[in-house]
Amino acid sequence: MVMTTQVREDVVTAEPPRSAGRRRSRRRTYLWSYVYLAPMMVLLLAFIVYPIVASLGYTFYKWDGIGDPSEFVGLANFRQIVHDSIFWRSLGHTFVYAAFVVPVQLVLALALALVLNNKRLRFASFYRTLFFLPVVTSAAVIGVVIQLLVSNFGDSINTLLLNLHLVHQHIDWLGDPHFALAIIILVGIWHTFGYNLVYFLAGLQTIPDELYEAARLDGAGRFATFWYITIPMLRAVGVVIVILAVIGTFQIFDLVQVLTSGGPYFATEVVNTYIYHLAFGGSNANAVQPDIGLASAASFIYGLLLIGFSVVQVIVLRSLARRRGA
Amino acid sequence: MTRRRVVTVMTHMALLVSGLAWLYPLFWALGSSLKSDDDFFTDGLNPMPSHFLWANYLNAWQEASFGRYFMNTILITVGTVVITLVVTSCAGYVLARTRFPGRGFCLGLVSATLFLPHGYTIIPVFDLMQRLHLLNSLWSVIIVQASGGVVFGTFLFMGYFMAIDKELEDAAQVDGANFHQTFARIMLPLSGPMLATVGLFTAISAWNSFFIPLVFTLGRPELRTLAIGMYAFIGENSTEWTLLCAGTVITLAPIILLFVLLQRFFVNGLAGAVKQ
Repeated sequence: MVMTTQVREDVVTAEPPRSAGRRRSRRRTYLWSYVYLAPMMVLLLAFIVYPIVASLGYTFYKWDGIGDPSEFVGLANFRQIVHDSIFWRSLGHTFVYAAFVVPVQLVLALALALVLNNKRLRFASFYRTLFFLPVVTSAAVIGVVIQLLVSNFGDSINTLLLNLHLVHQHIDWLGDPHFALAIIILVGIWHTFGYNLVYFLAGLQTIPDELYEAARLDGAGRFATFWYITIPMLRAVGVVIVILAVIGTFQIFDLVQVLTSGGPYFATEVVNTYIYHLAFGGSNANAVQPDIGLASAASFIYGLLLIGFSVVQVIVLRSLARRRGA
Repeated sequence: MTRRRVVTVMTHMALLVSGLAWLYPLFWALGSSLKSDDDFFTDGLNPMPSHFLWANYLNAWQEASFGRYFMNTILITVGTVVITLVVTSCAGYVLARTRFPGRGFCLGLVSATLFLPHGYTIIPVFDLMQRLHLLNSLWSVIIVQASGGVVFGTFLFMGYFMAIDKELEDAAQVDGANFHQTFARIMLPLSGPMLATVGLFTAISAWNSFFIPLVFTLGRPELRTLAIGMYAFIGENSTEWTLLCAGTVITLAPIILLFVLLQRFFVNGLAGAVKQ
């Protein structure tokens, strides 16, 4: 997103000729520039940059969050996290979540975007709104609705499955470690699908009509047009869409916290719920003393993993896009 | 009917049916919010209530404190939107139009934080709020919520202001307009679509926010937002399902309405962000 916002020097105030009056007015402009910029920089430094630095400091302490951290434990927190099997399991769940949600969403979104991009199709923006609406609903509230739907009316689905002889006993969908993560994945796909739809529609609209016209004149069929024109032309936008989708899925928290709170028996614990439970306790399955130091160590490791992963992803996808696009 | 006609009709049927099915959980919640407790259990997956029980809404609003949660959510959303718009439009204007010393550093810092994963730094933020004695007020949620969106908003405004013709400002300056007048009378009135885009983005994320209000209202139930209220309600009174569904509708309806009214800006903003 906004990846290539370049500094366009030509629209920026050119250096005015030097004279005492001009210089004074320029200095005043600079002064006011700082004043205009200050609120943004204060928020940025205090609530985004400082916390990144500070969370590194906490990682060396055992601290329950009350008063000042005093019990210095060195690298013990990092050792504990690295040796905690639940950390690795929650990392695994996060990857599984992303591995299912991202490809399914992208394929479905691209297919629907191709249908809706047809200029002769009327009411296209109405259909787009229908499929986009879940995006503007709160994940926490959706979690409540799904929980009600699934845990109370899983019966209807169970009856259906039992009658069809697909299963032999009732399934407690969100309470069964085998199904809970699958339900979260399905809801996750549904909830953020609309973003990818709109992104792909935007990408499709950048493809000039002349290209399709030329392909048609050359006698290209629908499949050939899709394969040789649509796909190559979507590559640049596609890279951004993939990166946004992956980053988004790795931040999953709300849905899991509301639907299962990481349970049953950590079967749906993702990294962000794991960190939350370490820092603030509260999970019934995970009744440990809150330990901000431990949570910060886990956050820091996860943050490093995410940054590393994003960098690798950007490099790989960009070079892929460039090579194939050439 | 020609073959093309048949295909068109079939496409519309498929899109309409799948689109409405896609929103089934929302229809189900809406229908269930008007049912009696008995109907709720016997109706199963049928969303249509046999008769409309509006009392659920009254109960949710008064007894289950959704009225208070609603006001909290409104205050947080409005506060976050106002702060974000003021802060990001000013910063975006300066970054787009003046070459003050240190501009490169500021731009670099802003771009770097765009790529950093957010959310994992909530603990120091919590600690900072504690030290600023803002922990037990809605301000903590507003400030943290706003700071999460300033980088993205600043980028959007910067891009927008850069694209505006410089001659307009030069003309204003020749006429004697100072720095503030140029911004307030020339640039800001021209940036209506961007104000709507950033405003709507911020409103949606503030209204739906879960993690930040969850952490900052842990010990203060009276500061809960709608989303947190719903979540807490499940734990506390886990039997009043129809009331909970009414709470769902109270939470979802305003933001869906706002989105439908302003969706042009939202969708264009998203599309523009990807295309850049």
